[in-house]
Amino acid sequence: MDALEAALDMIWPRRLARYSGWAMIAPAILLVGILVLGLVQIAEGSLHTLDRSTFLPSEEYTLANYQTIIDSTTYWRVLWRSLLGAGLTVFFTLLLALPYSYIMVRTSSATIRKSLLVVLFLPFFIGQVVRAYGILIVLGTSGAVNDVLGLFGVEPLRLLFNFPAVVFGLVQYMLPFSVLLLAPALTAIPRETETAASSLGANWLQSFWHVVIPMAKPGLVGAGLVVGTLSLTDFAMPAMLGGGSQDFIANAIYDQFFRTADQGLGAALALLLVALGSVIAGVVIAIFGAGTLGMGGRK
Amino acid sequence: MISRTQRILFWAIVWFSIVILSVPTLIVVGASLTAGNIISFPPEGLSLKWYGEIAMARDLRGAFGRSIIVSLICLAVSVPVGTLAGLALTRFRLRFTNAIQVYLLLPFTIPLIGSGIGMMLVFGSWRILGNVWPVGVALAAINIPFIIWSVSSSAASLDGDLELAAANCGAGRVETFLHVTLPGVMPGVITGGLLMFVLAMTEFLVSLLLTDARTVTLPVQIYNNIRSIITPDLAAVSSVFVVIALFAVWLLDRLVGLEIFLKSK
Repeated sequence: MDALEAALDMIWPRRLARYSGWAMIAPAILLVGILVLGLVQIAEGSLHTLDRSTFLPSEEYTLANYQTIIDSTTYWRVLWRSLLGAGLTVFFTLLLALPYSYIMVRTSSATIRKSLLVVLFLPFFIGQVVRAYGILIVLGTSGAVNDVLGLFGVEPLRLLFNFPAVVFGLVQYMLPFSVLLLAPALTAIPRETETAASSLGANWLQSFWHVVIPMAKPGLVGAGLVVGTLSLTDFAMPAMLGGGSQDFIANAIYDQFFRTADQGLGAALALLLVALGSVIAGVVIAIFGAGTLGMGGRK
Repeated sequence: MISRTQRILFWAIVWFSIVILSVPTLIVVGASLTAGNIISFPPEGLSLKWYGEIAMARDLRGAFGRSIIVSLICLAVSVPVGTLAGLALTRFRLRFTNAIQVYLLLPFTIPLIGSGIGMMLVFGSWRILGNVWPVGVALAAINIPFIIWSVSSSAASLDGDLELAAANCGAGRVETFLHVTLPGVMPGVITGGLLMFVLAMTEFLVSLLLTDARTVTLPVQIYNNIRSIITPDLAAVSSVFVVIALFAVWLLDRLVGLEIFLKSK
């Protein structure tokens, strides 16, 4: 132990103590720096067009890739599809998450609360690919849903590889996130406020609409924005449940890099998506503060 | 004081949510136990033969091994980095704390496709693309806020006077750190490490961008195989992830209790 102390005194003398905090946070800043470096490389790459004669990025700097994206009807359609998908996902996810969190927070039974939590955490840890695979099996033409429908004499339906399938997959994927973001907001609402509302003659719908939802608004907005950005930029669900016909922005970027091999155009698309994501994230941080995740929060 | 209509309506929605969250998982596990050659319901007899098949399949075994390596590297990078950062944010009054917090949240605010493509370009220019270890570093970078968050919430509840008392009693800086600070934040370190490991095991998009046929990890391998055909051996591999998730949830509950996520800040 004395040797260790002596070694520390050698490499980090006590007079440097003022900078200890910085020394401790430096590795994390460097690690995240890889991502920043990546963005710089993407930005640099986006300024070169693909030279069709050599299939190498051209030397000169140009904004031509951005012009191509703006002029292209394909990318506007992909953007519109992603935005619509994200919007619908936010709506349906919150519709399910609000009652789920409410019941989980308000139930008096510890067993029910624990079971509802386990049901949420299990998919969170299973991972997106395996979850999408499960949905593929369930919704397939010979899958469980069609088997059940078959019992009632319904012909097998084509439930996969269309837009609703992607939205369903996204809702299933986002539900645990949104419940976990909403639950603390609902915990903060005292039960008495609802009792007060009902003793003043409000029925449950009125007290829910006029008391619970307004008080849970920060949680709802936060959950909505997180779900919105994550689904807007999702890759796996459109790729696996959309069957190639329901590409979102992330899939278009992937295709530019790995199918068409036009890295410049792909980089320009990626940078635009990062910008879009940052605007939304900026709004979240501006509204809720950087301490949203409780990082370094002094209580 | 929940009225009858509200109770019925809300519970109907809760049950619907439980079904869509759990049924796909249950069916994957069920399908892996089939004795037949295709996935069908009900399964044609029970058997564990597909687990034998996947244990023999070289590509799956290789991908599983690489996933473990990647997750261990992610753990080796993120635990020291995240612990130090979490302590620095709570124990020291740094200037620009707000800016640092926003910066350290970048891994969550940059879309994953952007982070992944960016790291692919950076690792390419460093000529390390095609190795397994950079994937572990990349997964540490994209998930680092989780462990910083869990360590700093642990550190925030630790009384700073304890460290002063130890120093006052003659403990050196290393001794204070090892015997007072570190044990105090251990629950946060373990929880964060658990999250980092499991999320690295199941991570898909960034792994897809950073691996090739020789370095593919298990989730990417599953994705590639789904493209061609859905078979019970894939269901068996997926069930391995279900088992890992069950274990992780059990451990998380033992360590901090799942209810901690319901607390209002």
